[in-house]
Amino acid sequence: MTNLETIFFWITLVIYSLGAGGYIYSFVFKNPRFMPKMTWVIAAGYLAHNLTIGIRFMATGHLPWAGDYESAMMAGWFIIGATLYVGRRNQQLRALATVTAPLVVLMMGFGVMRNPVLTPMAASLKTYWLYIHVYFAQLAFGSYALSMAAGVLYLLKSKSAASDAPNPSYDRFPSLDRLDEFIFRYVLFGFITDTIMIAAGAIWAKDLWGSYWSWDPVETWSLISWLMYGITIHLRVTFGWRDQRLAWLVVAALCTVIISFFGVTLMVDTSMHFFNVK
Amino acid sequence: MFKKFVKYLSSLRFTLLLISLLGAMFLLGLWIPQASLVTQDQLVQWKSRSPLLVGALDSLGLTRIYASPIMLGLWALFFLNLSLVMWQRIPLIKKRIALVVPKNDDPETAPGFSFRASYSLPAGKDGEAVVGFLRKRGYAVLGRGERFFAVKNRLSPIAFALFHVSFFFILLGGMLSVYSKFIGFVDLAEGETFQGELARYNQVPKMPKFGGPPEVNFTVEKITPLVSGNTPTGLKVHLVEAGGAVRDLGINSPYHAGSASFVIKDLGLAPLFEVIDPAGKTVDQAYVKLNVMKGRGDTFLLGGFLFRAHFYPDYTIKAGVASTASEEFKNPVFTLLVEREGKQIAQGIVPKNGTLSFGGYQLVMLEMPFWVRFMVIKEYGIPILYAGFGMAALAVIWRFLFYRREVLGALREENGTWRLAVAGRSEFYKSLAADEFKEMFDDATGTVSGETC
Repeated sequence: MTNLETIFFWITLVIYSLGAGGYIYSFVFKNPRFMPKMTWVIAAGYLAHNLTIGIRFMATGHLPWAGDYESAMMAGWFIIGATLYVGRRNQQLRALATVTAPLVVLMMGFGVMRNPVLTPMAASLKTYWLYIHVYFAQLAFGSYALSMAAGVLYLLKSKSAASDAPNPSYDRFPSLDRLDEFIFRYVLFGFITDTIMIAAGAIWAKDLWGSYWSWDPVETWSLISWLMYGITIHLRVTFGWRDQRLAWLVVAALCTVIISFFGVTLMVDTSMHFFNVK
Repeated sequence: MFKKFVKYLSSLRFTLLLISLLGAMFLLGLWIPQASLVTQDQLVQWKSRSPLLVGALDSLGLTRIYASPIMLGLWALFFLNLSLVMWQRIPLIKKRIALVVPKNDDPETAPGFSFRASYSLPAGKDGEAVVGFLRKRGYAVLGRGERFFAVKNRLSPIAFALFHVSFFFILLGGMLSVYSKFIGFVDLAEGETFQGELARYNQVPKMPKFGGPPEVNFTVEKITPLVSGNTPTGLKVHLVEAGGAVRDLGINSPYHAGSASFVIKDLGLAPLFEVIDPAGKTVDQAYVKLNVMKGRGDTFLLGGFLFRAHFYPDYTIKAGVASTASEEFKNPVFTLLVEREGKQIAQGIVPKNGTLSFGGYQLVMLEMPFWVRFMVIKEYGIPILYAGFGMAALAVIWRFLFYRREVLGALREENGTWRLAVAGRSEFYKSLAADEFKEMFDDATGTVSGETC
């Protein structure tokens, strides 16, 4: 990491943490007026996040796509970007940042402890398939993270609604019916991009490793998470799973995605997906 | 009884059970070390440490779980279930995509429509204008302005079939690939010609159940590794085919010859060494392919001597020990231990085109070309497999982004003004679809907000 990148990285993390803290404050202390300001805080953090990526790009000559640090940085960029995007389209969804911002802080914090050193692009990563594969992987992660965030808010709001003194902060969210459908909508979008990611990865793997599927731990985990979301869609469409059951399911399903992105590197010593950057 | 059994086999409950079991097997495969993913040494070590456990897992096929009888059985049931589901669903899909007005087409009473509203039409707007608006929005409309039924993305259910058919393409392509697959590894140095001779593969290649080994004829002209610091950033391999055609390969861009691919897997050095005796006479001379990159050691025999070699691309001495400053080929040096009849007789370094003197003999490096290891794969079915991937991706986009919406509309005269009663429903969504319909009819009728019945 260059000094400038380090500075902006920590600025990003501090601002996201402040934003996440602000959201949590508004829930805990039932102060909904505090919430809209936090969107601006998160947006400021996103600006710093963009600068961090830009500085790293200038230093390495490539987008940060590989290794835990770069993956966390880009996953965070997609997740916060998606949160701000949906919040811009529907103000009631701005509070999704309550869940996504802490998730991003944790991910980026984990990433910076792993391997933030500047490395040139490894030969194995020099292909257009990388951009297609990783772009769709990050879109899927972003979308699944939003579904998880909507799931968490659904669970909190339904609990609050059932209590004697409902928390007014939840009034700023969409209704439970809408939240339930947003969960499903994000799952569907994630599933589409996840499917494209797996197909693109298989095509790339054929040229790089000689085999479109090798049962590598990362491949297997990504298949498990794809199946998990496939089951989620089946349960929703065919068996009518909604409400709290669906919300819990998407929270659990995101764990499989997080393991695919970050967990495998912790659990196994060898994976073809390390690309010389572990 | 049989009917009940077939019904269960074709049920979505069974689909979910199978997907869950497959997922569980994949998880087991991550937990139990797989023979295909660990080295032979690791496998032997594990077997010697836990013979009972490994024996039990072996007998169940769990150390090769992805090709185990249990896994193959699950896949067989999965495709059986998929076939039965498709068989049941195709008539339903045909029925669903037919453009037929519902029996009850009154927007106020038609069952199953979650969105209902009524709009007063401003002057200059009539039912035909609304129908025209809907057509512009991609709706297929039956009826006229006074009573209509409109459907958007009517054919979307076909994507369901397409998605499930894509699995059969992937299965067919995968099976063709498995049974027609030839795999071999061949090391080729700069200047070497390869004509597909089986004897030149490193080990006995895996032969296909049908078809033969690849028929090729090319010469490796030049190999250029690119390294920045400790990161390999590229590898350029220049080939010339027998017909004179030139091919430039690299990591991610293998050499394709018909259904065969030559994928670069490894890089090594093939120096031309010469042993000269004390009288100045050449005793032996040969190119030796050494697998010495990334700190690996290798040995070679030449002129009756055994040489143990290590290679340092950017040679330096760190704390009195031979080391490399980076992986860049800035100062390539071999360190060699020379043995004769089991005894070490000398050791030293040989830089590029340098010499090592030992016991009156000399080892001279005349050239230092590279070699690359190609994984040679020949298989059929890959285009079918890719078609399956493409179909699956297309189908999920079609099904989940372009889902079906239906709208009923009828004009009513109330107290001298015309009102448009509408009802709408959508696949997958109710509340969000209601927002969409409201916005659409507000727009269509030119009103600020609709009056929900």
